[in-house]
Amino acid sequence: MMAITHDRYKIEKRIWAVACYLLLVFFVPAAYAQRQGCDCFVKGVVRDKHTGQPIPGATIAVLGENKGVSTDMNGRYQIERLCPGQYELECRIIGYQPYTETIDLIAGHEENFALAEDEIHLKDVEITAHRTDAPISQPITTLTGSELAQTRGQSLAESLKGITGVTTLQTGSNIAKPVIHGLHSNRVLIMNNGVRQEGQQWGSEHAPEIDPFIATRVTVVKGAAGVRYGSDAIGGVILVEPEELPIGKPLSGELNTVGYSNGRQGVVSGTLQGGVKGIEELGWRAQGTFKRGGNIHTPNYFLSNTGIRERNFSVAAGYRKKGFGAEIFYSHFATELGIFSGAHIGSVTDLLQVIKNREPLVKSGFTYTIGRPYQDVAHNLVKGEAHYHFADGHRIQWVSAWQHNDRSEYDLHRPRNDSLAGLNRPELTFRLTTFTNDIVWDHKPIANKLAGQVGISTLYQYNLMNGRPLIPNFDQWNVGAFLIERLVQNGWEWEAGIRYDYRYLTTYRLVNRVTQRDEFRFSSASGTLGVTRSISEKLSTRLNVGTAWRAPNVSELFSAGVHHGAASYEEGDPTLRPEQAINTVASVVYDNDKFNWEIGAYHNYIARYIYLKPQPEPILTVRGAFPYFRYTQTDATFTGIDASLGWKMTDRWSWKSKASYLRVYDQKNDQYLVMIPPNRWDNQLSFNIGEAGKWQKLFVSAGNLWVGEQRRVPANSDFAPPPPAYSLWNLTAGGTLFITQKQQVEVGLTVHNLLDTAYRDYLNRFRYYADEMGRNISLRLKWRFGA
Amino acid sequence: MKVDRRMLGWGLLMSAALLLTDCRRADEVDPQDENELITTVRLNFTEQGTTTATTFEFRDPDGEGGNPPTRFDQIKLKPNTSYNVTVELLDESKTPVVDLTDEIAEKADEHLMVYTATPATLLTYTYGDKDSRNFPIGLTGTAQTGTAGRGQLKVQLRHQPPVNGTAVKNGMAAPGSDDVNLDFELIVE
Repeated sequence: MMAITHDRYKIEKRIWAVACYLLLVFFVPAAYAQRQGCDCFVKGVVRDKHTGQPIPGATIAVLGENKGVSTDMNGRYQIERLCPGQYELECRIIGYQPYTETIDLIAGHEENFALAEDEIHLKDVEITAHRTDAPISQPITTLTGSELAQTRGQSLAESLKGITGVTTLQTGSNIAKPVIHGLHSNRVLIMNNGVRQEGQQWGSEHAPEIDPFIATRVTVVKGAAGVRYGSDAIGGVILVEPEELPIGKPLSGELNTVGYSNGRQGVVSGTLQGGVKGIEELGWRAQGTFKRGGNIHTPNYFLSNTGIRERNFSVAAGYRKKGFGAEIFYSHFATELGIFSGAHIGSVTDLLQVIKNREPLVKSGFTYTIGRPYQDVAHNLVKGEAHYHFADGHRIQWVSAWQHNDRSEYDLHRPRNDSLAGLNRPELTFRLTTFTNDIVWDHKPIANKLAGQVGISTLYQYNLMNGRPLIPNFDQWNVGAFLIERLVQNGWEWEAGIRYDYRYLTTYRLVNRVTQRDEFRFSSASGTLGVTRSISEKLSTRLNVGTAWRAPNVSELFSAGVHHGAASYEEGDPTLRPEQAINTVASVVYDNDKFNWEIGAYHNYIARYIYLKPQPEPILTVRGAFPYFRYTQTDATFTGIDASLGWKMTDRWSWKSKASYLRVYDQKNDQYLVMIPPNRWDNQLSFNIGEAGKWQKLFVSAGNLWVGEQRRVPANSDFAPPPPAYSLWNLTAGGTLFITQKQQVEVGLTVHNLLDTAYRDYLNRFRYYADEMGRNISLRLKWRFGA
Repeated sequence: MKVDRRMLGWGLLMSAALLLTDCRRADEVDPQDENELITTVRLNFTEQGTTTATTFEFRDPDGEGGNPPTRFDQIKLKPNTSYNVTVELLDESKTPVVDLTDEIAEKADEHLMVYTATPATLLTYTYGDKDSRNFPIGLTGTAQTGTAGRGQLKVQLRHQPPVNGTAVKNGMAAPGSDDVNLDFELIVE
């Protein structure tokens, strides 16, 4: 028997993610090849890899041949009377990612006809396609394989920056949050291994507490996806997914090392995984990452106190037998982030002085030492998952998780009092504990056309707060229930869903040294309706109208104080009501051998959009008067276009171009909104060298990123105008060294900001204080063995 | 059924895990206080040759936000007169009240008081104290008023702690950041 491994290390756009995937095994006996004519056939079984169960009702089609069948109750199918030749097989199941595979029905069969059919005429082609919980009609981009490998070493938000429509909101160089279609923080939901990430997302300087090395797939769902994922999915959803556990498989692993010249940063991450000898039903994985970096260098100076230290690990184990499976996962994330000390200002005078100065007053040299101000954040996640496949095709899954987020923030200044200073207490501590439970029932396909799921999600959470008063203690309950149905018929795929959520929030805060208790009840219905139409094998269109909601978070309800770094006094409003988004996305995708392009347009209307509204009177404090902002609601529209084009000019040369445009408007007050990513255009020209000796997939590429100046800002709303447009060049070279069939080393060399351009980015909250990072050369090595 | 029992076991395990976790309650609110807060800035002007001090004060007992400052005096001084000036900085949100002046004197190497009159002719401040590196501190000093007029006296406490272990205080206002930044109204008449 001959096994062919198909490498799938390319960006798989439009792969609709999640949870499980299916295993397709094609048996391709080109039987009796000495007979002329069309007697070849393809047969096999379709399985869900996560559960190992056969999937009935999958359609298998031979593209261009007008031949197609459905799998039977045991997931089996057979296509007969095929002539020898090359074919493209496509497998489609509702609720799963469609997949195509090229099958060669000639290769090497004639001469071996004398051998037993089983030995030579069977060809195993393992295809993995992913089950999709994400809405099928929404634009989705997945980073996996070498595309993901090129981002290794970066933070989660940084690694998603290459996706059209996705940018980052930064606080200095170390803290980055993902921005999807101009929305971020509590308006973007992150699903970490199937569990809602619950940190202190409301803070713009609170980066997601996730080690990207955990994931082998990172998927971005653009647009409101509130029905499947619940509240907060207004701007989009990020799915961080590890590989399936290697149940019953031999030991394998990988070691990643990344070195960066800027900040002299080093990252090491290793994974070891395998099955258990003698117990076919078990699989396990252990993974760990260590990161250490020092002060970042801009083209002209070092940024003091911008070091980083991160230590993460995770362990997982799973059991699977027949229809039953269970899995347990634990991850620990711990980071210490230095915050550029030049960004600490005491008063508005200080801020205006720095802006006038154009560069930091105190410039330091290089050091790995992290001093004040810094953040110390730890996140622990324990997740258990269990599923059962009923013999008649129904499936039930239960995911239960506990998360604990412990965030300490240390100000620049220690207390002057020595005994207090000696304690080295953080000025702010948040401890957030969250329990989530999700139960999803997938009903069996009806008439092979209609599939769907119904689910219930609960969340209980409490927050404990110490230090400077900022947000109150709180606990909250959340219950949500949803139903999604998908229908496939004649090239049309329809999807419709509804959801209802209820949240009960209680806050506890001290008012004149007495605990005051406030109760809030929020509830909302969400819906989605989408359609995908495959016009031809190359061209398809999608349209989705979806809604999502978000309850105001505690900082929007109760914050009161000066935001250092931003030099503003911010105040919450306990009468805020939930935001409600209605998002319409339309996209067209074209894909042939030479060209692939995708254009998507979206319009996201957010009713009762919560933002900080400048108030006429400043607030007087001991450090002078601060501009006064209050959380207020308006109606906002986010309208934009994402476009990408890939052109394979020759076998060796290819070009990729991505552009995004976004216009955000405050409909009630007739003006623009602040902190919206400017338009950008990204181009990459690649030269594919191919093979050389033991090297494969050798390439060099050069690229440019242009980011415009944000001109759509409200008048007189900022201490300094948005920074001018900038253009950055980069160079990348890479390849894979095959030591043996089972051992490979993937190498990548990248130069970011090749020309050492000094620039500032509008979405970096430290843009007032200093330039962005200068030239950064990185070298990545990835050693894989056993797989 | 075998499988059902296994699922039940799993469920029990998960429930046990939930029960065994941190039982602290959100309704037990810890008294939230800042490590250190300056609520009160008191300027004592004593005309040279006399012993009676006139005190001018800024007072915001609950810190920034909340209730507005309860006191923000006008500084009224005689023209062409020399005064001895001392400053007191208090945290009145704590009981007992914390006097931060001594702590600033102890950490004089990273603090600088800055007094700036606008227009400059109204008042000239001369430092009367020095830190270990011979840079001024500004907790005590003298003020010489000019001719009668109205304007402002900006009083700043510059916090200038070492950056990456290197001292930054150089006698100038520029390094560090404001811990106090108050524009007192100044009347010389």
